[in-house]
Amino acid sequence: MTILTGKAEAHRRLQSDKSGMLRKIWSHRADYAYVLPAIVVMLIVIAYPVYYTIELSFFNTPPGLQLRDKIFTGLDNYTAILKSPVFWKVTSNTLIWTLASTLIAFVLGFACALALHRDFAGRGILRAILIIPWVISAVAASYIWKWIYHSDFGIIGAVLVGLGLADRPPNFIDSVSTVLPSLIVVNIWREFPFAMIMMMAGLQTVPDQLLRAAKVDGANAWQRFCHVTFPHLRNVSTVTILLLAVANFNSFIIPWIMTGGGPSNASHIWITHIYELAFGRQRWGVASAYSVLLFMIVMSLGYFYVRALSGNERKDGSV
Amino acid sequence: MAHVVLKDLVKTYGSFKAVNNVSLTVNDGEFVALVGPSGCGKTTTLNLVAGLIPITSGDIVIGDRVVNDLDPKDRDIAMVFQNYALYPQKSVYKNLAFPLQMRRLPKEEIDRKVREAARVLDMTELLERKPRELSGGQQQRVALGRALVRDPSVFLMDEPLSNLDAKLRVQMRSEIKRFHQDLKATIIYVTHDQLEAVTMADRMAVMNGGYLQQYDSPAQVFAHPVNMFVASFVGSPAMSLVPLEASTANGKSVLTSAEGWSLELSPHNAQKVAKAKTRKIVLGARHSTIKLHKSAVPGSIPAKAYTVEPTGDVTFVQAFLSGALVNISMPPTIAVAPDEQIWLEFDQERMHLFDGETEMALKAH
Repeated sequence: MTILTGKAEAHRRLQSDKSGMLRKIWSHRADYAYVLPAIVVMLIVIAYPVYYTIELSFFNTPPGLQLRDKIFTGLDNYTAILKSPVFWKVTSNTLIWTLASTLIAFVLGFACALALHRDFAGRGILRAILIIPWVISAVAASYIWKWIYHSDFGIIGAVLVGLGLADRPPNFIDSVSTVLPSLIVVNIWREFPFAMIMMMAGLQTVPDQLLRAAKVDGANAWQRFCHVTFPHLRNVSTVTILLLAVANFNSFIIPWIMTGGGPSNASHIWITHIYELAFGRQRWGVASAYSVLLFMIVMSLGYFYVRALSGNERKDGSV
Repeated sequence: MAHVVLKDLVKTYGSFKAVNNVSLTVNDGEFVALVGPSGCGKTTTLNLVAGLIPITSGDIVIGDRVVNDLDPKDRDIAMVFQNYALYPQKSVYKNLAFPLQMRRLPKEEIDRKVREAARVLDMTELLERKPRELSGGQQQRVALGRALVRDPSVFLMDEPLSNLDAKLRVQMRSEIKRFHQDLKATIIYVTHDQLEAVTMADRMAVMNGGYLQQYDSPAQVFAHPVNMFVASFVGSPAMSLVPLEASTANGKSVLTSAEGWSLELSPHNAQKVAKAKTRKIVLGARHSTIKLHKSAVPGSIPAKAYTVEPTGDVTFVQAFLSGALVNISMPPTIAVAPDEQIWLEFDQERMHLFDGETEMALKAH
């Protein structure tokens, strides 16, 4: 029997680890072959555009110039963005849009989920109706709401005037002060069913026995909600809020179709602004720099999302 | 502590009667086990006492109050659940403090009571832990503690040991028994495990199909089961029940089998059979009251060994008699092989006889 010294033993183990890894890969060679096409496609449609966007963000692309004749300007695009008042306006719009839409849609969805969690006649029909905004196309919803808000033919204006609450129909989406809240209402209307479905699923997992224990312990309905139901739904709430936040941060259809960012940038959010810069004004370089910044923000949101998900697993799957 | 009285308790779900006219009294400081197979109505009965589900009719008295319409929190009860039902986000300390906080007790008093309960249940060092960091046994002890801090009139326990492994169950069984002895607590304990009921309870209420079958001390239930269900449910291995036919031969009362053999009855047993309204009689015998012989002796019945199960202290032999499987226990020193011819001798003094139609135990008078 050979006696190995500590060092030799460590060396041997390292060697075997290395060859073990290669052996492992080799033994799965068929699996790698199967995923290879997918990896190639991903590289072409995701990795290359990301690289090209980052590259473009360091160039100036004046309209009228061929894209291949772009002028390298270093970080100029970034500094120009940060100095521009429009950037700050669009950023604040995006923050208001994202936070307000996310939180209100979540609270509203949660409230509906709690209401629908009790058994009552007509629950199924009500649930089906409440899901409609989420399943219809965002484009259709945008046009419907455009008409609802319309200052001449809109139903809201007509009702307000009819009730004597306003002299003439308000200009919901043509006024700088009301356009963003009006769009947020549409967005919440479209999104709260998603929060509702998520929270309804979460509510099914609250153990009945815990609620009964709390009842025996003397907790009233509100205390049972605070001490049992809500703590149990903390993780599913986090995931729902993060998913909503990411979706809202990236929304495009509703603001673009309803207002196109106007009037005077009052309803521009990042995505619509980037789209307008790139495809409206052909300012590819600046639009790319915007995209890179947006990419970094969304990636950090994604990090929290993944962390929230893995947190779930750590707690024995108690969603 | 207080006594509990259930009077003609009924719970129906649509046309299904989950609890059917159950009446029983639990004395002050008594440990009563509600026992029966799944779906027998025992847990429903407990939930009715707790106030977690409304009763259909009848009365529930705790102490001197009729509590039919009171909320669980106003019934002065504490409950221990099968899955412990600890609040997962709260530490052990906060779990124990929760029922006291809900009663708006002063902070110092809560602290004193929590620490006292932790001391009694020997879990002071666990107070800062979260439930998921505890073993099953520890979690169940916390659940007991949470019931204890309330200082309730009645403890309701819903299969508290079912989620524990066999070894821990035996240990917690004695802990709960000790808990009862020390506190002189009134306890209503639901279990499907007749062994738990027999070993722990002062009295056991055997339920089946929503009906209370028998309510008596474990010894009485074991020795004098009122019907075939109780006879087969209580005791392990279960009592063997052999369907036979009563007849007279040479002026003597006998039970005959379709297999051709017959068993002559003692005068006492003959008297019982004479009172029966039917000729169909079921003979019941516990494994320890049947003697196994390797050769024919007077009064013995021939049979064939079916399986042989040595357990160390005793060896269980199973054999078919009149189509029914019969359990016999014997010292491990006697060797029997499967399919071997054996002879069984019943102890007439400790034999049970049941009416084959009503399934009720036959009585001599």
